[in-house]
Amino acid sequence: MLRVDYRDLIGGVLITLAGAGAMYHSLTTFSVGTAARMGPGYFPALVGGLLMLCGLMILIPALLRAGPVPTVELRPLFWISLSMLAFALLVLPFGLVPAIIAQTVLAGISDCKLSWRGSLILAGALSVGATLVFKIGLGVILPTFTWPW
Amino acid sequence: MELFDNIVLGLSTALAWNNLLWCIIGVSLGTLIGVIPGVGTLATMSLLFPITYVLEPTAALIMLAGIWYGSTYGGSTASILLNLPGTPANAVTCLDGFPMAKQGRAGVALLMTTVASFFGATAGILMMMLFSPLVAEVAFKFGPAEYFSMMVLGLVAASVVSSGSAVKGITMVVGGVLLGMVGTDVNSGVPRFDLGFPELQDGVQIVAIAMGLFGVTEIIASINHVKAADSKIDVSMKAMLPTRDEMKRSWGPMARGSGLGSFFGILPGVGPTVAAFMAYALEKRTSKTPERFGKGAIEGIMAPESANNASDQASFIPTMTLGIPGSVTMALIIGALMIHGIQPGPQMLTEQPDMFWGLIMSFWIGNIVLVILNVPMIGLWIRVLTIPYHILYPAIIMFICIGTYSVNNNVFDVYTVLAFGIGGYVLRVLDFQPAPLLLGYVLGPMLEENFRRAMLLSRGSIQTFIERPISMWVLILTAALLAWGVWSSLRHRSVVTAAPSPESV
Repeated sequence: MLRVDYRDLIGGVLITLAGAGAMYHSLTTFSVGTAARMGPGYFPALVGGLLMLCGLMILIPALLRAGPVPTVELRPLFWISLSMLAFALLVLPFGLVPAIIAQTVLAGISDCKLSWRGSLILAGALSVGATLVFKIGLGVILPTFTWPW
Repeated sequence: MELFDNIVLGLSTALAWNNLLWCIIGVSLGTLIGVIPGVGTLATMSLLFPITYVLEPTAALIMLAGIWYGSTYGGSTASILLNLPGTPANAVTCLDGFPMAKQGRAGVALLMTTVASFFGATAGILMMMLFSPLVAEVAFKFGPAEYFSMMVLGLVAASVVSSGSAVKGITMVVGGVLLGMVGTDVNSGVPRFDLGFPELQDGVQIVAIAMGLFGVTEIIASINHVKAADSKIDVSMKAMLPTRDEMKRSWGPMARGSGLGSFFGILPGVGPTVAAFMAYALEKRTSKTPERFGKGAIEGIMAPESANNASDQASFIPTMTLGIPGSVTMALIIGALMIHGIQPGPQMLTEQPDMFWGLIMSFWIGNIVLVILNVPMIGLWIRVLTIPYHILYPAIIMFICIGTYSVNNNVFDVYTVLAFGIGGYVLRVLDFQPAPLLLGYVLGPMLEENFRRAMLLSRGSIQTFIERPISMWVLILTAALLAWGVWSSLRHRSVVTAAPSPESV
């Protein structure tokens, strides 16, 4: 337990900032108009203000009470994100199969329950399955293998 | 007999071979993912969302709906066998289902929850058949002010009643509405909040949000926490038969659970989870032997399982007749329809009666298929429970990547999913529920549209919302809910307390 509820404090601050930012942006960048003839900025400014209010309602009580320590599982967060990034970066220049292999192997690192061999077998099976289902079955336009240079 | 004509029309649509096929696919997938804890209904519906682009709208609707109510059937299996709810709506079933399994009566529990589910679903579908035309009739009188107020009610109800803090729920809804503003403003053509990306001028893709928040986030959070079952459970017909006494004790809870579920399903924002909790509490309170609850009382599985299925079906009433989704799942279904240019609402019953009644009739077919899937084929699902999660999740990530890409053939959408996945995880760590965010996102543009129109009609007078009687009463109800929700969350009590659920809504 912490003396201040940091979890809600951080959340509240982020939400307040997002709300304030959206409100400021709507009021300054878009024309606001009048209540009877609203411009593109009117409604977003209202919503932004409301969000800011919500943020404050989370933030202020959090200062006054103790709270649990938030736990972040960085390992799965990092490897899953990286695996998706790898897919997005590889799929067009190198093709579907290399992208899937990279993605599956990287995702597998997050819990280490699969050996390298098991991981590669899974990657191979998924590549074949995905090519059959998405390329042949659903007709998604994607190269299977390609080389950018 | 108008109802009879509609039934015939609906049956002819639902029995068309491709609709029938997608109905069966939907409920089978629903059962499958309902059985596996850690793979949520929302994640699956989001995963299959790209497929709905290629399907006919009716088939898409039937399939998505099938996943939704199918998962509630399947979810009870994990609750009973693993003491882990397959979907949050089945969380209460753990309380008495798992003790039954420990006493070696898993077979009975599995059979009887299927019976209860079917019974509840029947009540919900009948309710929908009888009440939808009435609700649609009333809805024709709605102007933009009424629509605006109804949507506000739906959003507030969904965030207040969901598990966790009401203030945080409302925050997520408001954030979602803001997210819905991204893209070109329909009235003026001005691009808003596009952060300089031309891809964002059409708005953030619903698929990307849903897959990020419910697919990627869910996986990141589940990886270290999901365990597979080792199941040697007797599911022969003989082991599944309940005793005569259990049969006798099941009728009352089933009937009360169905009634409660249908009622809660109609209210916007109150989903099957709440209905199941309420039904359990009601049975426990009215029982002459409340001490048996939690130790394998059959009433404790019959009431919630009939309530959640009744609620699943009845929640289609506000969604289809008003066009106002009561839950995130319903928001996804509306999203799928809007992609096909169909706006659900009262005119749907008159303009697309084949789709509306086809959907209802597909519920009957789907529920019958589900009984077949969940009784004679239960052994198959138990075996599914033994597939280790570390083989499943890389495959799910792959489906998410290719699925999102295939919607627009654009890698940008994959990056968006990634962003929402990470963002969703941060929100989860900070104890925010991502589900109301999506609801806000879907309703946001409609909310703005109706707000602007109502204010235009009233020449800028905000009083229009309280001068019109329906709108006024809806807003009074909303204010009461809001006050109650904020009050109880300031007192650290959520409405659904301590649900042992791995996923929200």
